Amino acid sequence: MKTGTVALPEFLKLPPVIEGKLTPGSLDDQVLSHLDRRPPPAWFVAFAFSSSLMVIGLMLIGYTIATGIGVWGNNIPVAWAFDIINFVFWVGIGHAGTLISAILLLFRARWRNAISRFSEAMTIFAVICAGIFPAIHVGRPWLAFWLMPYPNQRGIWPNFRSPLIWDVFAVSTYFSVSLLFWYLGLVPDLASLRDRAPGKFRKAVYSMLSVGWRGSSSHWQHFEKAYLILAGLATGLVLSVHSVVSFDFATSLVPGWHMTIFPPYFVAGAIFAGFAMVVIVLVVVRSTMRLENLITMYHLDVMNKVILTCSCLMGYAYVMEAFTAWYSMNGSIHHTFKQYIFGTYWWAGWTTISCNVLIPQLLWSRRFRRSYPVMIFVALAVTVGMWFERFVIIVSSLHQDYLPSSWHIYRPTLVDYGILAGSFGMFFTLVLLFARVLPVIATTEMKVVLPGSQPRHAGGLHE
Amino acid sequence: MSRRIFSILGLFDDVQRLMDAIPVVKAKTGARLDAYTPYPVHGIDKALGLRKSPVGGMVFIMGLLGALAGVGFELWTSGVDYPLIAAGKPVLSWEAFVPIMFEVTVLFATFTAGLGMLLLLNRLPFFRHPMLRAKSMPLITRDKFALAVESDGGELDEDAIIAVLRNAGARSIEVIEQPAPPGPLSPDFLMRVAVAIAISCGVAGYLTYWAMKLFPISVPVVHMLDQPRLNPQTQNSFFRDESGMRLPVAGTVARGHMPYSIREPDDPAVPANPLPASEPVLKEGRKAFEIYCSVCHGILGDGAGSLTAAYGAKPANLSSRAIRDYTDGKIHHAIVAGKNAMPSYAAELTEDERWSVVHYVRALQRALNAKDEDIPKEVRK
Repeated sequence: MKTGTVALPEFLKLPPVIEGKLTPGSLDDQVLSHLDRRPPPAWFVAFAFSSSLMVIGLMLIGYTIATGIGVWGNNIPVAWAFDIINFVFWVGIGHAGTLISAILLLFRARWRNAISRFSEAMTIFAVICAGIFPAIHVGRPWLAFWLMPYPNQRGIWPNFRSPLIWDVFAVSTYFSVSLLFWYLGLVPDLASLRDRAPGKFRKAVYSMLSVGWRGSSSHWQHFEKAYLILAGLATGLVLSVHSVVSFDFATSLVPGWHMTIFPPYFVAGAIFAGFAMVVIVLVVVRSTMRLENLITMYHLDVMNKVILTCSCLMGYAYVMEAFTAWYSMNGSIHHTFKQYIFGTYWWAGWTTISCNVLIPQLLWSRRFRRSYPVMIFVALAVTVGMWFERFVIIVSSLHQDYLPSSWHIYRPTLVDYGILAGSFGMFFTLVLLFARVLPVIATTEMKVVLPGSQPRHAGGLHE
Repeated sequence: MSRRIFSILGLFDDVQRLMDAIPVVKAKTGARLDAYTPYPVHGIDKALGLRKSPVGGMVFIMGLLGALAGVGFELWTSGVDYPLIAAGKPVLSWEAFVPIMFEVTVLFATFTAGLGMLLLLNRLPFFRHPMLRAKSMPLITRDKFALAVESDGGELDEDAIIAVLRNAGARSIEVIEQPAPPGPLSPDFLMRVAVAIAISCGVAGYLTYWAMKLFPISVPVVHMLDQPRLNPQTQNSFFRDESGMRLPVAGTVARGHMPYSIREPDDPAVPANPLPASEPVLKEGRKAFEIYCSVCHGILGDGAGSLTAAYGAKPANLSSRAIRDYTDGKIHHAIVAGKNAMPSYAAELTEDERWSVVHYVRALQRALNAKDEDIPKEVRK
C-alpha cells in the first residue's frame, strides 16, 4: 500500500454502473441501433392503447371547452378538484427527472448517467400534461394569455402578489429550463445519430437538430461548464417549483392548507411520485429494449432506496401535519383533519397513508428492492397514493370549510375521469414516441463513465 | 497549387495516445491545434492551451440582470404604472415579488448558459464547417479521437505535418480542404436574416408601445375610450337653444313629490287623511313622531319636550282642546308648512310618513284624554 492512499473497505466501494464489457462503439451500436429497427409488435399495441386514451382525453377537453366546466363535478366550495389534483400530480412526476439530471450530477452520482436522459424526457412530458390542466381550468382557455404581463390597451398588469401568478412563472420557467437542459444534453447524441443515419431524410432531420456539432475541444469545454451551471440552476429551480405550487394552497386560509410545512412536504412528495413513475417506465424499457447491462439492478436498487427515503419523509410530514393541526387549537382545523380520516372521503385518506407510508416499507429488504413484481407493486402503489394525497389535500379540505351552510359533497363526472385517463394516455404516447426517435440513454454521458475513458493523469474519479 | 488545405487530421484510437501526442505535435509544428473527441476529455483544454470558458461570468452577470429586471418590472407595474393594493399590502411590498424575481433570474441565467454557450461561444448552428464533411466525422462522434493541425490563414506544410502526426502515433491521416466560399443565400445568411427580423419585430413592438403610451395622438384601436356625447353645462349646437342640458317636460312630477300649493291652514281644500288608521301605519307614525316631533312636543305630545326647559320655548300641547278640534288636513298642513316658530318638516318626512304622524297624534290625543268608556269592559272595575 502506498502512503497517502486509503484502501476503502469492501462495503464502501461503489459497485460498477455497467455490467459486462462495453466500449464507446459497442455502446452506440446497442443504444442507437434501436432507432434503425422496426419496433416490436408490443410497441404498436401500447402505442395504439395510449394514443386512443389520449384522443378520448383530448375530445373530452374539447367538449369541456365548448360547453363550459359545468360538465365537471366541481361545485362551490369544491371549486378545485380533478383539474388541480392532476396538475399538482403531473408537475410532481416531473420532479424526479430534474433531480436525477441536475442534483445527482452535482453530487457526481455516476449511476445517474444511464437514466438521466429518460427521466429528463419524462419531466418534459409530465410538465406538458400538467400544463393542460390550469389552462382548461380557467374556463375560457382562449383568454389564458391574460396571465402573461404584456402591455395592453387596458393599461393593467397581473397582480404579482398572487401565488397563482407565481405558479404561472414557476411552471413555465421550469418547462423552458427543462427543455433547454434536455436539448443541450441531446446535441452530441444527435450528432452521433446524424453520422450513422441510413436514410437521407433522417440524416437531414438529425443534422438540423444537432446544429452542426463537431466535438471540438473548445466546444466541449464551454459545453461542460454550461451544463454544470445549468445543473446548479435547475437544482434551485426544482426545489422552488413545487414550493411555489404549494404556495397556491399554503397562502390561503382554508383549514388544512394554511401550513408552513407545505413547501418541503410538496417537494418530497413530488420526488417520491416521480421516482415511482421512473421505476415503472425503466423496468419496462430495460427489459423490452434489452438494456440490462446499462440500467442494472444496482440502478433500480438505488432508486428504490430513494423511494424508501421519500416514503419515510412523507410519513414524517403526515405526522407533523397532524401535530400542527392539533397544536393549532383551532376547531375548524381539528374538524378538517378528522374529516381526512373519518369523514366522507375516509377511504382517500387511508389510501394515501397505506400507499405512501406503509407499502413502501417493503423496500427495506434488499431482496424486494431487486424484485420486479415487488418494485412495480410499490411504484404503482406510490403513484396511486400520491394522486390520492392531492385528492385529500384539495377535495377533503374544501368540501367542509369554515361555513357549514356551504358544505357540499364532490362527485367527479365521467368527463373528469376521461380527462385524467387522457393525460396518462398523452404521457405514455409521448414516452413511446420518444423511445422510437431519440436515444433513450445519454450515450455521450455514458461514454464518460466507461472504464478507460479519461487520460490517466485526470485522477481516479473517472476510472 | 490549386487546393488550399484547411486542416490535417490525425486519428487516434484511445484517449491516452491523443493526450500524449498533443505536446509533441505542438512542439514540432507550432501550428494551431484543435482536438475532436466523442465526449469531453478532462485536461485536454490545458494541453491545447485553450482559454478558460467565460460561461460562469456571463451567467453571473445575466442572472443579476434577470433579478433586477424581474423585481424592477414587478415594482414598476404594481407600484408605479398601475398601483395595485392587494390584501392591504403597501404598493411596494417587495417580499411578494421574490418568487417571480427568482424565476426570472433562473430564466435569464439558464438561457445565458445554454444558448449563450451554444450560439455565442460555440458559434452554432454552423453547418458549413469543413470538419462536418470529413470522412472521419462519423468515427469521431462514435469512438475515435482526432487531433487537427489547422491553418490560421497561411499555407500548411502537408508532408511535414503528416509525418509529425504519424510519428506521434496517429492511426490514420485525413487532409481536409478549404471549402469553396458560400453562395449569397447560404443557410447561415438566411438564419441571420431570420434572427434580425425577429429582433427588429421585438424592438418595433416595444417602441410602438412606448410611443402609444407617451404620445397618445394616433392610438390605432381606441375601443370605447372616445365616445361622442353631450356634456351638461356646456354649449352645444345640437339643440335649438344651444344648451347641452335638457329641461324636463312641462308638468313633470317626480315620484313621491306631489306639489302642495295650499297656503292657508283653514283653506277648505286641505286634503283628508288618505291612510287607514291601521297598526303598521300607527307604528310608522310613532317612529317618525319620536324622531322628529318628540324633541319639542314631548314623547306624549303634551308640549313638554326635552328642549322646552333649555330654551324656554313653548311648543303646542298637541292634546289640547284646540288642536283636538283641528282637522287631519290642518295638522298635516302644520307639518308641511310649519306654524309660528315651528319650521316646515316637508323635507324630513315623506307624504306617507306625514299622514302616519297625523294618525299617531290622534292616538296620543285620545290616550291623554281617555274616558271610562275607552277602557275595555273586561278590565274595567
